[in-house]
Amino acid sequence: MRRSGPIRDMIFGLGVFVLLALLYVLVDDAFVHDIIIKTCIFSIFALSLNLLIGYLGLVAFGHAAFFAAGAYVFGLFMQSEYVGPDSAWAIPFGVLLAMVGSAVLAAAIGAICIRAKAIYFSFLTLAFQMILYSAILAAVPITGGDQGLMGGFPKPVFLGIDLAEASHMYMFCAALAIIAALIMRQVVESPFGYVLRMLRDNPDRAAFLGLKVKLYQWITFVLAGTLASLAGVLQSLLDIGAFPEWAFWAKSAEPLFMILLGGMQTFLGPVLGAFIFEVLNAVVTAHTRYYGLVLGAVILFFALGLRRGLGDYIWQLVSDRREASGRADA
Amino acid sequence: MELAAFGECLTNSSCLIFQTVGGLKIGMLLFLVASGLTLIFGVLGVINFAHGSFYMLGAYFAYTTLAVTDSFTLAVIAGALGAGVVGILFERGFISRVYQSNVLVQLLVCYAFILILDDLVILIWGEEFLSSLGAPEVFRVPPLFVAGAVVPPFHLFLIGASIAVALGLWLIMARTRFGKIVRAAAQNPQMVSALGINTTLIYAGVFALGSLLAGLGGALAASERSISSGMGFSIVIESFIVTVIGGMGSIAGAFVAAILIGLARSFGAIGFPLFTDGLMFMVMCLVLILRPQGLFGRAES
Amino acid sequence: MLRLENVAKAFGGVIATDDVSLAFAPGSLSAIIGPNGAGKTTIFNLISGKLRPDSGRILFDGENIAGLDETEIVRRGIGRAFQVASIFPSLTVEESLMAAVQSHRRQTLRMAERFRHSNARQRAGEIIDMTGLGAVARDLSANLSHGDQKLLDIALALALEPRLLLLDEPTAGMGPEERWQMIERVRALWQAEHMTLVFIEHDMDIVFEIAQSIRVLCYGAVLAEGTAEEIRANPDVIEAYLGAPAEDAEVAP
Repeated sequence: MRRSGPIRDMIFGLGVFVLLALLYVLVDDAFVHDIIIKTCIFSIFALSLNLLIGYLGLVAFGHAAFFAAGAYVFGLFMQSEYVGPDSAWAIPFGVLLAMVGSAVLAAAIGAICIRAKAIYFSFLTLAFQMILYSAILAAVPITGGDQGLMGGFPKPVFLGIDLAEASHMYMFCAALAIIAALIMRQVVESPFGYVLRMLRDNPDRAAFLGLKVKLYQWITFVLAGTLASLAGVLQSLLDIGAFPEWAFWAKSAEPLFMILLGGMQTFLGPVLGAFIFEVLNAVVTAHTRYYGLVLGAVILFFALGLRRGLGDYIWQLVSDRREASGRADA
Repeated sequence: MELAAFGECLTNSSCLIFQTVGGLKIGMLLFLVASGLTLIFGVLGVINFAHGSFYMLGAYFAYTTLAVTDSFTLAVIAGALGAGVVGILFERGFISRVYQSNVLVQLLVCYAFILILDDLVILIWGEEFLSSLGAPEVFRVPPLFVAGAVVPPFHLFLIGASIAVALGLWLIMARTRFGKIVRAAAQNPQMVSALGINTTLIYAGVFALGSLLAGLGGALAASERSISSGMGFSIVIESFIVTVIGGMGSIAGAFVAAILIGLARSFGAIGFPLFTDGLMFMVMCLVLILRPQGLFGRAES
Repeated sequence: MLRLENVAKAFGGVIATDDVSLAFAPGSLSAIIGPNGAGKTTIFNLISGKLRPDSGRILFDGENIAGLDETEIVRRGIGRAFQVASIFPSLTVEESLMAAVQSHRRQTLRMAERFRHSNARQRAGEIIDMTGLGAVARDLSANLSHGDQKLLDIALALALEPRLLLLDEPTAGMGPEERWQMIERVRALWQAEHMTLVFIEHDMDIVFEIAQSIRVLCYGAVLAEGTAEEIRANPDVIEAYLGAPAEDAEVAP
């Protein structure tokens, strides 16, 4: 008998975690570890954006707002007077606080943005992100303005996890990325997830099936924003701070690019995209100053040449082959 | 917030005039760039996020031309034409291939171009900021004094030149055959191509004109602002605000919105220097929520 | 069951529906006919909540539903299918219908269970059998033939178990033979589901053959109503509408 979906996905997730752990042990190279950590962080970011773009069909340009919100809420909390070097509860609570705070922000921004149609939705999300960016720059006494959150913060040990330890940080990021991916996988494969596909395909028809279009869009917007904030939290933990560039519009272009690179029709496409992006980033910056030149050329290759993400491309090849062999059997 | 200083300036005629002239200058330069963006959107339906790069190219081309010929006029012409030529290459080689694709792909192609051009500029002109061109010889004269306010004649020239371009653009769109075809193509491209008009040529022409305007803005701005790779980043986002507030595709709207933004910048610098940008985005949000088609845009039926 | 009282709707200065009053009895099978631009689809849009009437009342089960939004009206039991099949191209037939059934059962906010394991599959299967889509159940909706897409559109509406079903030209774009197959299927569904059915149709032979009662619309107003015989004999209708070659009534007024 075939295993049911959720269990199969969890086994897969566990397998990936074991593989990543093995990789850490076998390849003792900080360069490689760094790529994996960043891939994990950006997988969460890109997957959450793909809920909106790939599944719901809403092109959000301002997703980095929630990445930055998560990072700043978390960073500010960790720097606050409540947190000392021995506050074992601090990091779990900080993660939660950052996600709840970002959820509230996403709820407010989403409620306004989804009222706008098509391209105006994209513009509004971008405008809200830039308001946040300006606010971060302006609120110097709190955020440090263009310098970012400086001075670092403690990383108290919790449940035996010491995030100041490189190996712990690596495992922590991997575990959270896998959990977040499993949650999103569950959502897109649930009855709710199929409503998202329907709204992408034909929102008018969905309304005549009794589905309140804006309600589903709003819930997904909040969910995506909340998960993006988790990516921001991890980035903040990694850099022990937070920086205004994370709220700048160019930061929203990065996950868009990862989605394009990896593919939006395949669930794990954005993860593949994040990995390629981080590898490119690491390898190219190590060899040349002209990173933009290479990255730009790669984007053009995918956008104009392949015309779809690598994940979608591979998936298409696989299913074509399956179909061909199916026909040969019949 | 420096509201006291802000209030004081509003009641002081010399400060008022100085800031107004400064605001108009910023606004008119912004208009040059934004008009190109809105023109391209109006006809091609593409949001050219790489528009700021043509502004940057205009500045660099002007810089080199000035260094070689020592002529400000030639420098500005070279900046505008050079950006226009690169614009045609960009449109023919790349953007024209994604007219049918979704906005995401268009955005990414533009993003790729921003990255590539920023690096190419560094390859050619180096990483250092280049100093501004300075005002041409004729304008290196003592400033005028209007009601106690210092008004550099060169600023008046920049404002006047931009207004002249705006008028010229309006004449082209309203009176010439090209303008009529362009307006028709914006409304109904199938109709225009059915009439036997070469839409490919029109699209390339519009893109060239849009890039040329951005390059002109960059070349003129370079007389005052330092030149660097990445200088297009902030101008494109500002032009974008102007385009949205004025109405996507509306040149008149861009004119009014650019002046508003210019004045907001100039006076905001006194009243709330750190949140001027935030304020502009708030206005953009309000317009999008209350009147998505912009101040001068046509409402969709 | 459904009663329109003095319903009017104008777009700008153009009157689309002018003081229309209509009533449909429970369990009836009625047709709305009329030349292009007579306001037939507008009536459907008004009933189903896509448009809000400028004036007048639309009573469903005695309650005024005019101005409610489409989701609310669907929930009350009015389903519709469209002139141009309105479907979900990237879902298979079975997936589309499962999702529609889940919507009917109000299960679509569930995030913790798997769509594939949903008990809606069984009900979706019944609807597939009922509409004869069995052969293409696993196909992507985008890849269906024109006729099957129209059927799927109707099947989606059926998943909501409507008491009143509005079909906007179920045979649009079909060849003569296919038309009759389609309309026989529609009649069979109507009988099996005990619902009230109103359809818009251009093919007079079909209308006269299966409709119990017919409403003739012209320039946004009701020109005549009655049985096939009555309509055939009505001088106004003959003059305004059937005066044209009777074979194909799709002649512009």
